[in-house]
Parts: sequence; structure tokens; C-alpha cells
Amino acid sequence: MNIEQVKERAGPREFGPSDEMPEPYRKAATRMIQFHANSEIMGALIERPFIRQAPSLERKLAVSAQVQDEIGHGQLLYRAAEQLGVKTREEMLDELADGRGKFLNCFHYPLDHWYELPMIMFFVDGAAMRRQASLKRTSWEPYAHAIDKICFEEGFHIKHGEDILREIATGSRRDKELLQDAFEKWWPRILQFFGPTDDDSTHGGFAQEVGLKTMSNDDLRNAFLNAYLPKAEKYGLEIPEYPRIEYDESRDHYEIENSDLDWAEFETVSKNEYPPGREQIDSRGRRQEAVDWVREAIMDDSTTAVTGTTGAAAD
Amino acid sequence: MTELDPRDLSETEYAAVTAELETLADDQFVVAERYTDWQTRGPTLEADIAVANIAQDEYGHARLWYDLLEDLGHTEQELIWERDPASFRHATLLELGYETGGWADCVLRGYLYDVFEQLHLGALEETTYPRIADRLGKVQGEEGYHREHTESWLDRLTEDAAPGDEALVRLQAALDRLYPHALTLFEPTEHETQIVELGVRSTPLADLRGDWLAITTPFLGGLGLDVPDPELPESGVRGRDGTHTDDWERLYNEFTYTYEMLDREPRKLLVDPDEVGG
Repeated sequence: MNIEQVKERAGPREFGPSDEMPEPYRKAATRMIQFHANSEIMGALIERPFIRQAPSLERKLAVSAQVQDEIGHGQLLYRAAEQLGVKTREEMLDELADGRGKFLNCFHYPLDHWYELPMIMFFVDGAAMRRQASLKRTSWEPYAHAIDKICFEEGFHIKHGEDILREIATGSRRDKELLQDAFEKWWPRILQFFGPTDDDSTHGGFAQEVGLKTMSNDDLRNAFLNAYLPKAEKYGLEIPEYPRIEYDESRDHYEIENSDLDWAEFETVSKNEYPPGREQIDSRGRRQEAVDWVREAIMDDSTTAVTGTTGAAAD
Repeated sequence: MTELDPRDLSETEYAAVTAELETLADDQFVVAERYTDWQTRGPTLEADIAVANIAQDEYGHARLWYDLLEDLGHTEQELIWERDPASFRHATLLELGYETGGWADCVLRGYLYDVFEQLHLGALEETTYPRIADRLGKVQGEEGYHREHTESWLDRLTEDAAPGDEALVRLQAALDRLYPHALTLFEPTEHETQIVELGVRSTPLADLRGDWLAITTPFLGGLGLDVPDPELPESGVRGRDGTHTDDWERLYNEFTYTYEMLDREPRKLLVDPDEVGG
């Protein structure tokens, strides 16, 4: 298949491992799915301290299960990406460990305490859900298949995140103040979650033409704001004055004043060069390196029950 | 032996049942807490997921035993979050922090505990406290799976390993470090005599030690490890009597951090005039 044929046929779940896909498609799909897989792993990483710091046994169980689910999503997505034949899972995990692998902006920022957790578990996961729901119609079938399971589990995560948010929002005055502080700190990052506006997006055009992406960044951000601005208000959160958001009733559209957002920082984050984020990437890399000996010790074993490293396209 | 009536316990019975339930619950809670140290840090994605599964099972078991303490009138706040760290009854084996890359410690510790746990639960099969008997089956089923998991990891790490291979060297170092602390699993609380006399648990913990040695010594030897002499920690910590290592204090401070932080509004703020009528 050449690119023109791909563009013509592009539709929900249209292509799979049995199709001869042209290199630009395979590369674009790999970049997109690898980015998603990396984001699951790094999302799990910033939530992990809250397994320990959760203030009840119920919450501990839920946060532990959530972190586990996210690692499981990473596993599924790397498998879906591997099937494109561009990179093996090991290569993608190596890239993540040594700082070449890219992932979502929000997961570059460490969480300071429990009050920040719902910013990830409710707002960021809510934003992710918007994007993921649109990917049920992506043209790479193995990706869409992974998305089905991910969306199902993510629904529970958001419910749990909302429950934590509700609990804090109905706490003492100090709890509410700390929650508002966390919201103001995270709100601009959450608005940047969907990336630059469509005009500035570099990969969006091609990915949409070949059906990998089904909605534009602007439409996704808009859908998110439609759903989550009322939710934020419901929990007593005040939407900060800046960045300015104008609602255009005639188009049912939110217009964000782009110059109010720090796109230079976003750029630094995207390159894995934002120092606190970089430190998280590197410390994870060192942790991974410290268990290299385990992978080496079990490498010769023929079964994949423990290692699972020999996927269909591993070579 | 007479069955105890949970709704009508004498003071001695209450103390014995409480001590045994705390031993069960605290062991499970702390072992779970340490397993979660490996979440997002496992050597493979699959290992990560398996460890998370086990941690959640152990938290689940802890909750089940803490529930029985709640039936006796305690709250989760008292049992975990506001409890004096020096009154926790878990063995010191379970509280120790890991060194970076210490996967050998993780699976070996898991194994040493799993064997103990099976013996401990076995000794409760004849318990005179009916609520423990009711919950035993569920816990035993899951613990069996945990032991298979840790044994299979130990086998895999040592398969075809020659003396001097990194996996063996690391496992031996972990065993030397953990072994004295593993023996605190068999240390009694101050209520041990009553626990046994009342039949809450028919066998003294100390008597389980021989069975444990008979299982673990040949297994570890078979992996190519030298099993140290069975001696308790030189530092004098014994776990179930409330004496713990510094690692426990750090762990306790970490897991109570948010609890301490939440909702701790100074009283005067409650009558802040700005709030009145606002």
C-alpha cells in the first residue's frame, strides 16, 4: 500500500499486522503509540509515592491497583507498537530509560503532596480519557484494541480521582486552600496537555490524514473544557484569571489566550530537558539499570512467563 | 478447647485475641508496604505487575484481620494511623528498606515470610476464636500462590548459576542480612502464653521455627546458598514486642505523612470571624 491508498482507505480499525503498511505510516504510528506507552509508565511513576502516602487502607489498595493498571497499559501499548515492526519493546524501554523516549507534559512535574494527586487522577486522567476515547476509532487496529481495555480501566481511575477530590474539597478550610493552590499550579499544565493549537501542530496533520488521530488538539481541548470546567466549579475550585479563556457561544468553543501559557517551558518539557522532570527520568533510569542483573540472570530462560520479552516482532 | 465468644470476652481473652490479630494484621500490612516499593521499579513490566498483585493481596489480608479488631471496638485510625509505632507487632524482617536494585532481597524475603505465613495460618486451623477460623481459607489460598511466585523467582535467578555469579552473590548477601530478622517471625508477644492456653493458636510461634527451618534450609541449600546459623539480630530488636529498626521509623513517618497533613486545621481557625456567617 502506498500513502495515497492508506489515506483513501483510512478509517476506524482499518489496518492491522497483516497489511503491508508504508514506512511513514508505521513510523508515525510507532511514534504515537510509543509516546502513549511511555506516558503510562511515567504517569505510574509520579503516582507511586501515593501508594505509601495514601491516608487509608482503602486508598492504598486503589492507588496500588491504579499504578499496576498503568504499567499494564504500557505493556499492552508497547505490544501494539511492536507489531508495526519499527522498534522492539526493549528498544522503546531503553529509550525511555536513557531519556530519549518522549511522553506527556504533565508527567514531567513531580507531585509534592496528596492535594496534588487529584490534579493527575481526575483532571489529567480526564483529559487523557477524552483523547483515548477518540482513539477507539484509530486506523491501527492493535492500538484501538489496547485502547478498549485502557478506557475501561481509566474510567475507574477517574472515579477514584474524583472521590479523592471530593473528600479534600469537603475538608477543612486549610484543605480547600491547599487544593486551590494545587489547582492553580496545575491548571496551565493541564491546558497544555493537548499540545499547541492546531495551527502550530507538526505531526497532527499527517496522523489525521491516515486515520491514526481522529480529532484535532483544539477539538479535544474544547471537549475537555466543556466537561471539566463545570466539574472544577462543582468542587469549589476557582478557575484562575490567567491563562484567559474566552467562551464563544456561537461556536460552542473555548478560546485560550495562547500567549498566557508558557510555551517555552512546554518546549523544554517536550525535549525531556525540564530539570525536575529530567531528574525523574534519570532516577528511573538508574533504578532500571540497578536491576539489569536480574534481566541478565533470566535472559537465557526459554519461557516468557516472567520476562515476557519475546513478543511476536521482538526481532 | 472451649470456643471463645467474640461478644463476651474476658479481659485475658480480649488481650490474647487482640495480640494475635495484631500480629497477623501488622505482618501483612508491613509486608504489603514493602512490596509496593517495587511498583514501577520491577526488573520487567511483568514482574512489576506481579508484585503489585501480591501487595494488594497482602493489604487485603491486613484489612481482613484489622476488620476483626474493629469488631472488638477499635477503629482503623487507632489500628494504623494514630497508633504508636512502638506498639506494632510485625517481625523486623518485613520492615527493612531495600537497597537500590535489591530484587534478590525482595524475592528472598517474600519466600522466608511466605513459608512462615503458611505455618502460622496452619497453626490457626484449630483456633478457638471463630472469626479467625472463618477467614482462614481465603488467606491460605492466596498465600499459596505467593509462595509459588517467590520460589519460582528464586529458582529462575539461580538456574544454571555457577558459584560467583552475580545472582548468587546478591542472594547470599541478602540472606546473610535478612536471616536474623527472619527469625524474629517466631518471637512472641507478651501475651503468647495466654494465646496458646486459650487455644487462639494451639502451637507456640517458637515451635513453628523448627518446621520452618526444616523447609527453608534444604530449599535454600539447594539453590546453592549457605544458610547462616540461626541467630536473632545482634542489635536486640525483636519486632513483636514493639522493638524495631530505624527503617521502621522512616517507613511509619512516610505512610502517616498525608494522614497527619490532612484536615489538621488549628482549632482557632474554626472560629475565625471571617468564616462566621460567610
